[in-house]
Amino acid sequence: MTHTEIRQAEEAQSLFTEAIGNAGEINELLRRYGVKFGIYKNGVFKEQFFPFDPIPRVIPAEDFHLIEKGLVQRVNALNKFLFDMYHEKQIVRDGIIPEDFIYLSKGYLAQCEGITPPGEIYSHISGIDLVQGKDGAWYILEDNLRIPSGASYPLIARELTRIACPGAFAQHHITDNRNYAELLRDTMEHVNCGGIRAILTPGRYNAAYFEHSYLAELTGAVLVQNDELFVEDNKLYQRTYNGGKTQIGVLYRRISDEYLDPLTFYPGSVIGIPNLMEAYRSGNLGLINAPGNGVADDKGIYYFVPKMIRYYLGEEPILQNAPTYLPFYDEDRQYVLDRLDTLVLKDVSEAGGYGVVFGSDLTKEQLSELRDTILAEPRRFIAQEVIDFLDLPILDNGRTVLRKADLRAFVLTGKETKVWASGLTRFSRNPDSFVVNSSQGGGFKDTWVLSR
Amino acid sequence: MKQITFSYTTKLTFDDDVHDHSFALRIIPPDSPVQKLLQYDLHITPLTQYCQTVDAFGNHVISGYINEPHRFLDFTIKGRAEVDLSQSRTDFLPCYRYPSELTKPDASIQAFFADHRTACDSSDPAACAAFWSELLSDTLRYEKGVTCSGTTAAEVMAAGAGVCQDFSHLLISFLRLHGIPARYMAGLAYCNGETHAWVEYWNADHWEGIDPSNNCPVSENYLVLSQGRDFADCSINRGVMLGNYTQQMQLVRSVLS
Repeated sequence: MTHTEIRQAEEAQSLFTEAIGNAGEINELLRRYGVKFGIYKNGVFKEQFFPFDPIPRVIPAEDFHLIEKGLVQRVNALNKFLFDMYHEKQIVRDGIIPEDFIYLSKGYLAQCEGITPPGEIYSHISGIDLVQGKDGAWYILEDNLRIPSGASYPLIARELTRIACPGAFAQHHITDNRNYAELLRDTMEHVNCGGIRAILTPGRYNAAYFEHSYLAELTGAVLVQNDELFVEDNKLYQRTYNGGKTQIGVLYRRISDEYLDPLTFYPGSVIGIPNLMEAYRSGNLGLINAPGNGVADDKGIYYFVPKMIRYYLGEEPILQNAPTYLPFYDEDRQYVLDRLDTLVLKDVSEAGGYGVVFGSDLTKEQLSELRDTILAEPRRFIAQEVIDFLDLPILDNGRTVLRKADLRAFVLTGKETKVWASGLTRFSRNPDSFVVNSSQGGGFKDTWVLSR
Repeated sequence: MKQITFSYTTKLTFDDDVHDHSFALRIIPPDSPVQKLLQYDLHITPLTQYCQTVDAFGNHVISGYINEPHRFLDFTIKGRAEVDLSQSRTDFLPCYRYPSELTKPDASIQAFFADHRTACDSSDPAACAAFWSELLSDTLRYEKGVTCSGTTAAEVMAAGAGVCQDFSHLLISFLRLHGIPARYMAGLAYCNGETHAWVEYWNADHWEGIDPSNNCPVSENYLVLSQGRDFADCSINRGVMLGNYTQQMQLVRSVLS
């Protein structure tokens, strides 16, 4: 353990001795509230509880201040990039990003060319994944600009912890995180084109159904499914029980782009709304987040985000990317091939912790196979140095052990861009694993931002 | 320059009531330096309100919704347009250079391309287009019923036969392999009674048309209804409806004179 780790562990422990004793009770409350996520394994749907660890991640006020500034800058640049991509494409014309990275990306949707979303905002809710290195510095690991999930978990965990051990919050300066509801409501209202607020869920078999219903309740939005919605006169309506209709002015949709509108995207979609894109294009509907955002959170595009910040904002990036190489570039490819056994390779088309390979885990044969795949399809991969990240203490059968963890920060863009002073800390329960995704069996912690 | 009159009708019939019927039609010829729509009448029955927008590729989209039960949907457009091939289209999107869902090459298209690519010079788009169009008319059989609207270029390659849509998809696939931007054009041509499909390729600073299923350049007898990366962007008519219908008949008639 390094000094920073010991200090953090002690800090958290002292802040939270009370809660540790109540861990069982809190997990029981989470179970009773139905805080779970769904997962498909071999074609079978299973609902799992998302294991909660009672020791919070504590972020000192000055650390958070830096993170906040860095994330606002990053998300503002990403929004400008998305607007540019679907309009003038100046950053490509100026040679900052090679065209291939845009148009070979699955996330680029040609159908969205020329659409100007209300307020020119594309990523209203951004989930930015960070890790803290052993040196204390924060690194950006990944941007999630499509429909990042997870905000509900720290929210409800905090609520339940507050019930189980009110003392911790009375004695310490912990920034209240209940304002997420207000932030989300303001974000939705800012792009409301006239009508009610609604959250579109594909239904209770979706991995994040708990979150959809919880956020609807918190923000006073209506939770809807596609069979109660229709588009008429290029406006989106919800059918009412008495045969009438109510216009929806802003839709926070929790289904993927390709299923949104069977008349524009995948024709076989049975969870979408026909002509939704016409309502959106006509300026009669705010869509959160904008379809087509995948072109900006592609793992290949990640490499270019610091360049975007310089290009669009004329500023130096406040937060750094993990050191990344693109085998697409000749000079990077050689380096990657030479050091394959020490790097982490990510397939740009995969998500949720899938398609991530640590060179050090591979056999000689697997390494040479990977080398051939990279040579055949260099654009498909990015390579990163393995960051030695700061381990966090978690409670394992009454003992405190150290595990890998990341932080998903939520950044909301309405009138301004704001960072929620909380976030989802995910950890790996397996001591040898760096992959913290919930779909890979990880757990979560609350994230406490100290107010001073 | 040529003035043409055109009419286009589609009749969809269902053997039982359908309702909650949403549709999107791309049947109004988009204006460009090459063609100007002088006048038109559009009729949709059952009578319904509809809206009009312009999509990402520059096509007019007529969108509508019919809630009440019905057993048919008819739409007809009649009008006059002016076509002038001394002008050219210059609207461009970089995605026309990249593979799309229905045109992306598989191993056999790539192998076929590798076998023949040296016969033409990638830096001369017109020569490439003429070469592949010629080669396609020699290797591909024009035959109805072998393919359907969702058939990919790779499947056409394997089948060895197809219709105008399939010839166009394959030609687009080859041109894009050369790095030449190419796009799919849907519209009316001659008086063949149906809709037609052809290809435009980017030549330095403008688009030029070629009709691979007839292996000839386009003339002023071609009227564009819609354009895009491939057929999927250009469907004359897309719809989603609810009901217990088991079949749907589509009758199409077009006249160009």
